[in-house]
Amino acid sequence: MSKPPRTSLASLVHQSELLVTCGPGGVGKTTTAAALALSAAREGRRVIVVTVDPARRLADALGIDGSARSHDPREVAGAVTGGGSLWALMLDAETTFDRMITERSADVAQAQSILSNPVYRSIAGSLAGAQEYMAIERLHQLATGGEFDLVVLDTPPSRHAIDLLDAPDRLVKFFGHPMYRALTMPSRSFARVTNATSAAFVWAVRRLAGPTVVEDTINFFRALSGIEVGLRERAAEVGRILRAPTTTFVLVSSPRAEAVDEAHHLADALAAGGFPLGAVIVNLVHPTPTPLSDVASGNLHALADGALSQQAAFHRELSALACSERTQVAELEAAAGPAVVIEVPMFEGDIHDLAGLAALAGLLAPSEEHPVRA
Amino acid sequence: MRSAREAPAWVAASRVIIVAGKGGVGSTTTSAALALVAAEAGADVLLVAVDGKPGLGPLLGGEPLGPNEQTFNPIGATRGRISGRIRGRSIPADLAFGDYLALKGVGGLLRRAISAASLDVIAASTPGMEHLLVLGKIKELDRERAADLIIVDAPPAGHAAPFLRSASGLQQMVASGPVRDQADEVAAMLADASRCQCLLVTLAEETPVNEVIELAYDMEEDLGLALAPLVVNACWPDRVGLAITAAAAAKLEGIVLSASDRRALDAAATFGQARLTTQREQLARLDAQLPLPRIQLPRLATSRLQPADLATIARALAADPVQPVLSPARTSRTSSAATAASVASGASASPSGGRR
Repeated sequence: MSKPPRTSLASLVHQSELLVTCGPGGVGKTTTAAALALSAAREGRRVIVVTVDPARRLADALGIDGSARSHDPREVAGAVTGGGSLWALMLDAETTFDRMITERSADVAQAQSILSNPVYRSIAGSLAGAQEYMAIERLHQLATGGEFDLVVLDTPPSRHAIDLLDAPDRLVKFFGHPMYRALTMPSRSFARVTNATSAAFVWAVRRLAGPTVVEDTINFFRALSGIEVGLRERAAEVGRILRAPTTTFVLVSSPRAEAVDEAHHLADALAAGGFPLGAVIVNLVHPTPTPLSDVASGNLHALADGALSQQAAFHRELSALACSERTQVAELEAAAGPAVVIEVPMFEGDIHDLAGLAALAGLLAPSEEHPVRA
Repeated sequence: MRSAREAPAWVAASRVIIVAGKGGVGSTTTSAALALVAAEAGADVLLVAVDGKPGLGPLLGGEPLGPNEQTFNPIGATRGRISGRIRGRSIPADLAFGDYLALKGVGGLLRRAISAASLDVIAASTPGMEHLLVLGKIKELDRERAADLIIVDAPPAGHAAPFLRSASGLQQMVASGPVRDQADEVAAMLADASRCQCLLVTLAEETPVNEVIELAYDMEEDLGLALAPLVVNACWPDRVGLAITAAAAAKLEGIVLSASDRRALDAAATFGQARLTTQREQLARLDAQLPLPRIQLPRLATSRLQPADLATIARALAADPVQPVLSPARTSRTSSAATAASVASGASASPSGGRR
């Protein structure tokens, strides 16, 4: 079932079961995700916002500061007074990976042999795509667990494409890699490997990294074998959830050219992957000043330096900047297609408490119950 | 020196300058402006992008950077001012891996068989390996004296720290062998202030300031990385005149403004005053917490920079760094801050001397 064009963000927030925010770094993506979650929670829904790396004060406001990193969701105190609830969870790739290994291993011995492997210990958090994959894994639990009406997933900033969405494929590809296959063969046939590529690989790694690393790596891959079947199935399932009609992607950008270029790229990637883009949010937009009368513009231009000339100069610069940003926003509107585009003015300071999030929520998804409070 | 224009002393203090900052603070713009500053002083500059950075080439009037080196032809405002040269390229990890294998004497066919296809597996089994390969390639460029100045546009923070830490991480993991040698050599380059320094870029806003303070101390303490002056990008000119009403300002000048003009000026000034207050607060925090000489780059009235804008930014970047106002007593924690300060104040020999 396809959504009608230009559905308001408020109704998307209140109808979707999964909201995924994505976009370039430094544009307020995490804050936006938290505000959208708060908006839905205040509408009476049970909501969880899942984030990777929030700025410290925002994390404090959500009760998920790094020192108290936990695997379990925490309810955000004082966020909601009605029937809804707001929960927050900070993803920790390493812990999630450990847990997944333990759950998927055939027995305690296999789990132990993986968890205590030095190669595993050093890569648990950094295996190609692991962090993103773990986000997917966690997402699956939350989206299918029935505990929440809405999951808001804040993805890590991404430069090229949507790493998070590629992660399952990348990990699956990794496990299907001929190198991996060769490395996980039992030792005797391993010695007789005829595949020139994998033989060359082992030779090269041995020569470059030293024999201990090779041994640990081979042991690690062998211990992992069998687990990847489950991973593949999970990845496929999450792929379906991400494309479901109850899922909405929200692209967050700023009007700066670098961010816009990246957002444009992301919008294309979402479309190509069949992921439903529901809204584009443009944060940090400068206000457009009211133009001055011709008489004033003329008079003010000729002034010597002083308070009035400074005011005129600032008015001029701000007007030019705002005008330049209009062009960038227009570009985002073109990229958005049928998705709604919402501009958010630059706030006076960073948002780092619930009152700030509520104000932002009011701008993004205004509702009668919670009108905008400036 | 082949040019009338002199580069600031800090620009000439090392052959490699790594430019790093959180996403969205303008480290790419700063890298391009730095290239311009050095090239105007006659230096042969090589710009290296670690990540995609599609905007970097066009900002200099060229194509997006790719693995093949391109030479930028000075255009617009910069024409006739560049006595040096600017080249640019990217270093994808798989290419760095191929180059590394070649360097280690691995033959062509075998190299092709194991390079691109197995990089994923190698990267997975040896975390930090991809980054180390790229840094290793930069180290080679430094050793070959591939340019007078090699500017590295590092991945954004979040990724900058793992990138720069890859060598020390692998030193802990790998006890011996060529990877260990490579890690040792890269770590040595990073810790040698005469070969390499890190230029941190931030904005005068709360979160970027928090992150740059953390990054600065991390880089210096963990890696012994020398820090160039801190660049605070996109600063508004500090205009005290925004604090009073347009009516009061007009009275001072003996000018009469219409009510609508007064309202228009007041509304803009109120916004500007709020931005300036934040900016002043955050600069004061940097003064108190990060005793590095500082360079402020102007916020230009455009959201898409053009090559002509780059010349304006380069001029600001070439200005003398300013010492923080309330610099606390320097301790061993801030040793390289002191180094950067002495370099910035011109304590070293002539700007581009020593290197050529």
